[in-house]
Amino acid sequence: METLRLIREGELARLCFDRSDKRVNVIDACCMSQLETQLEVLESDPPETLVLQSDKAGCFIAGADLGLIASITDAVEATGLAERGQSLCRRIEVLPSLSVALVQGSCMGGGLELALACDYIVAVEDEKTELALPEIKIGIHPGFGGCVRLPKRVGWMKAVEMILSGSSVDAHTAKRIGLAALSCKIEQQDQAIAWLINKGKVRQRPLRPWWLKLWPAKALFFQQVEKRACARLKYLDVERAYPAVPAVIALLKEVVGMPDGLALAREAESLGKLVVTPTSKNLIRVFYLGEALKKQDAVRRGRPAVAGFKKIAVYGAGTMGSGIAWLASKTMDVDLHEVASQPLARGMKAMSRLANRRGRSDHQRLSRIRPVLDSSGLDHADVVIEAVLEDIRLKRALWTDVAQHVSREALLLSNTSSLSISDMQAGQADADRIAGMHFFNPVPKMPLVEVVAGHGTTADTMDKTCALAASWGKYPIIVADRPGFLVNRCLMPFMVSAFKLLEAGQKPEHVDGTLNSFGMPMGAVELADRVGLDICLHVGEHLGRALGESKQGLFVMPDWFRLMVDDGLLGEKSGKGFFVYEKGRRGARNAQLAEYLPGISTAEHESDADLGESTSVMAKAEIIDSCLLPMLLEALACLSENVVEQPEHLDAAFIYGMGFPPFRGGVLRYFSSFDTGELESRMVALGYTVPDNITVLHGFR
Amino acid sequence: MVAKGAHQHERVDDVVVVAGLRSPMAKAGGAFDRLTAVELGVQVIREVLARSPVRATDINQVIIGNVIQPAEAANIARVIALNAGIPIAVPAHTVHRNCASGMQAITDAAEKIQAGRADVVLVAGVESMTHAPLLFHDHFRAAMAKLPKAGRLSKKLSVFVELAKAPWKPRIALLEGLHDSTVGLGMGQTAENLAREFSISRQEQDIFALQSHQRAHAAWQDGWFDDEVMPLFAPPSYNAVHRDEGIREKQSTQALGKLKPVFDRPLGTVTAGNSSQITDGAAVLILASRVRAEAEDWPIMGYLHDWSYTGCDPARMGLGPVHATQKLLSQQGLHCSDMSRVEINEAFAAQVLACLKAMDSAKFAKDNFGLAQATGAPAIDSINVHGGAVALGHPVGMSGARLVLTLLGQLKKDTDGGLGLATLCVGGGQGAALLLGSERWKR
Repeated sequence: METLRLIREGELARLCFDRSDKRVNVIDACCMSQLETQLEVLESDPPETLVLQSDKAGCFIAGADLGLIASITDAVEATGLAERGQSLCRRIEVLPSLSVALVQGSCMGGGLELALACDYIVAVEDEKTELALPEIKIGIHPGFGGCVRLPKRVGWMKAVEMILSGSSVDAHTAKRIGLAALSCKIEQQDQAIAWLINKGKVRQRPLRPWWLKLWPAKALFFQQVEKRACARLKYLDVERAYPAVPAVIALLKEVVGMPDGLALAREAESLGKLVVTPTSKNLIRVFYLGEALKKQDAVRRGRPAVAGFKKIAVYGAGTMGSGIAWLASKTMDVDLHEVASQPLARGMKAMSRLANRRGRSDHQRLSRIRPVLDSSGLDHADVVIEAVLEDIRLKRALWTDVAQHVSREALLLSNTSSLSISDMQAGQADADRIAGMHFFNPVPKMPLVEVVAGHGTTADTMDKTCALAASWGKYPIIVADRPGFLVNRCLMPFMVSAFKLLEAGQKPEHVDGTLNSFGMPMGAVELADRVGLDICLHVGEHLGRALGESKQGLFVMPDWFRLMVDDGLLGEKSGKGFFVYEKGRRGARNAQLAEYLPGISTAEHESDADLGESTSVMAKAEIIDSCLLPMLLEALACLSENVVEQPEHLDAAFIYGMGFPPFRGGVLRYFSSFDTGELESRMVALGYTVPDNITVLHGFR
Repeated sequence: MVAKGAHQHERVDDVVVVAGLRSPMAKAGGAFDRLTAVELGVQVIREVLARSPVRATDINQVIIGNVIQPAEAANIARVIALNAGIPIAVPAHTVHRNCASGMQAITDAAEKIQAGRADVVLVAGVESMTHAPLLFHDHFRAAMAKLPKAGRLSKKLSVFVELAKAPWKPRIALLEGLHDSTVGLGMGQTAENLAREFSISRQEQDIFALQSHQRAHAAWQDGWFDDEVMPLFAPPSYNAVHRDEGIREKQSTQALGKLKPVFDRPLGTVTAGNSSQITDGAAVLILASRVRAEAEDWPIMGYLHDWSYTGCDPARMGLGPVHATQKLLSQQGLHCSDMSRVEINEAFAAQVLACLKAMDSAKFAKDNFGLAQATGAPAIDSINVHGGAVALGHPVGMSGARLVLTLLGQLKKDTDGGLGLATLCVGGGQGAALLLGSERWKR
């Protein structure tokens, strides 16, 4: 199977990458051996000019084959792979020909490293052109010489930023930062090559910035880098959770000013160690899971219809409604409906904050959103999404009202998190177009969308809803119309268990801190505060009732929780809950907590403490078990009830909808790493019955 | 096409208004402080298109009146149209006749419809007087222009010296725009001229100003403006603004009496209280041929019958309405008494009062129009019934369109039909007048 061709046109040789078996060019063993063969040909008879290009539309070289990286289990083998890639790049670099990489489409990872080996990069201006080194996102770092060659091209500041963030640049930016020597239009490619031929082969590239090798510049610079990189991960043990981050910072620091050969060897060695970490395997797996969700058949089928959508009406300008309106303004005009001007003003303000976050105000996108207090504009809407109060009568009334104005083809979608879609469809004439489209808070950040069909929903509506979510860059997952759907249902036992720990005398900071260090972005206690204790109570009761007697213990909040709600301690929205909140920041523990949780001693002074009374601090592993095992059990219950079709999708849902740490691979993947027998005994020890389908975990090892 | 012959103003195709809406008017530096003229126009156009059966794809042209013409939005009509989602194939241009720019947009559109060059035209008057820029003196500009050409350091230094010597004090575009350089008078000073010529006392002006506030306030209280004005959510707080910001419900003649004259100190009579307010706002209307409107079953708000523009003495530009009205009504063989409602833009209380006196003066009619009798002023109870620019504000590019919009509303809601007259004075010495009605023209 052919991956590339060598075409000679007189003094110019073109290496055209064009795989016959895939839609994108990737670097795998086959590609590398064919490249080695062609390089031998080129070395024996070097042309004046060598051009690397791709014959695939929208893709230059998308990077090394992820499957190949995922399959390596031996560090030495991984180092060997890196060295093989490095030698390919080196051979291109030392060719006497003037080499030009003609980049149009995605040029990522190994593909960019190959391009960097050439004398010049020409970035063709095209909406698909992007250049990046995204290896950090799968838990490794560039291994084909990117850590050595990129800093020489764009300077150390920019190179460190690009490698640590994995973010991409377009053609114009590539030219601006010096990554590409030229950016040109599609019709100007030959002129660009001619211009570079005229310019001649590049001389030595000096260290940029020149002062970095002076003391103490390097130490200070990397100190800042480390501080910023680990700032968002400070609750985690970064060495174990995301080992690539400290590893690549150490590597880059070491490699400043080092001769190439030595630097490349270090790079290969560091890469080898990272490839075999469980984090890397898990992150690659998580990436595949997300891609699988984006590439579902439903999305493909619904895409043509969704491409023609021009207008959406969003009902409800609360946190979710305004987030959905902002998201939708990416591709459509938005009418944001509310009943009164005050909540509408709050929603508009929230969106203007999102617009200003980009640095420069995204005015054009914001001007696509029209605040509406009546039913005007509905007749032109292609989609209606409601995010109003969770009251079935209110929602049914809304749909009845909307149906009078809206066209026959418009989709009617609900962001409900606790009501049944089938219930909502009862008595509606257009039940076939009603479906659930459940987003997660905060909407712009959380990629998951639960798509739910009611009794009357047609497959066509489901396809279009999935495609709509995908068009906004979200990952749609089809779940059954069961109470709590998937994510919220599994989140409740997690929270209730955490509260039981508090009841037993554990401190909320300890519980939350443990969960944070496990990798959850927010501990269970703080999560309850942020969502609102009244909402947790309401949802817990609702789900507990709906799911049956046996689930009461897992879902229903304890009595002292109800007391807190009754006394107005609602969490962030009321300023106080378990913690005290000011301007969105979490403060100290609420001193009043002792009234509801007598087990928590708030003794500050040694003299006050009574040695016999205070509860012993629970071990971290126990806390994690207590909170996460119920989550696992609920997840397994969801699987047995066919809430979600495939178990892999469940892992994706937890990561993309709940923030379950991706470096652990997902809840099923995490627990599959334990011996089943041991797991069962831990479950029994906590008082739970082992479910029949626990054997599902075997498939996740 | 227009048939030449019997009457030069015979229409082949009636021009109707099928949709209309305006933003609230906010004081300059007030509620719409953060909104540019472009954004104001875009918001009102999007709202009008959402509320009306007319779709963006039905529109043939866009014509927008704007006076300040911001430098960063060249041909503001095009910038607004594209940002409001009007298809790129629809051409757009901007018109300027000072205070009558909004009316100019309407009459230009009407003429195109009558000539058969367009069927449906979206017109607007938009203005953000808050964002009138500060400018550099021309010597400063000249010195700056030399900077890129100065190569050597010595040359650059001499340019910097020239820059330092040039006047640095910014020119205030707003003030310069309200000053007529051909006669060297500000708009307020032309009003003072009229106050003296027609012996209009300070008390008369203050009483007129008070009446404007009281009428506007009463109209808002009754909800009369609720469908003419859209609620606008303005940054940074995005609180809904609905009411026109300039109305002072507790205005009194005592308070007005305390103000000092602004344009002729200390003996003048025109104050900030009896002048129009500096405001921001946008008004949008959709015009169509009657035939098209009936075919599409679009609601007809009113018919535009005729219009006229005249020139007069720039030093007494406030009398523009008298000239324009006389020309318009005599063309149609009508008198002010035939009008059910009249909207005269209240640039200054003195200016409106002077117009009314001039209309009632036989001498004025003889000297200016060669007529034996006075042209006749409209009854005070039919003029600016729901308040005028003194209370509501005068965003210069918008007012022409706003007067037409509010007049259409009055004929529909208040008088159950009839004829309406909208007229404005124009800085530089012009007058503009437009005749509209609730029914097709019958001769």
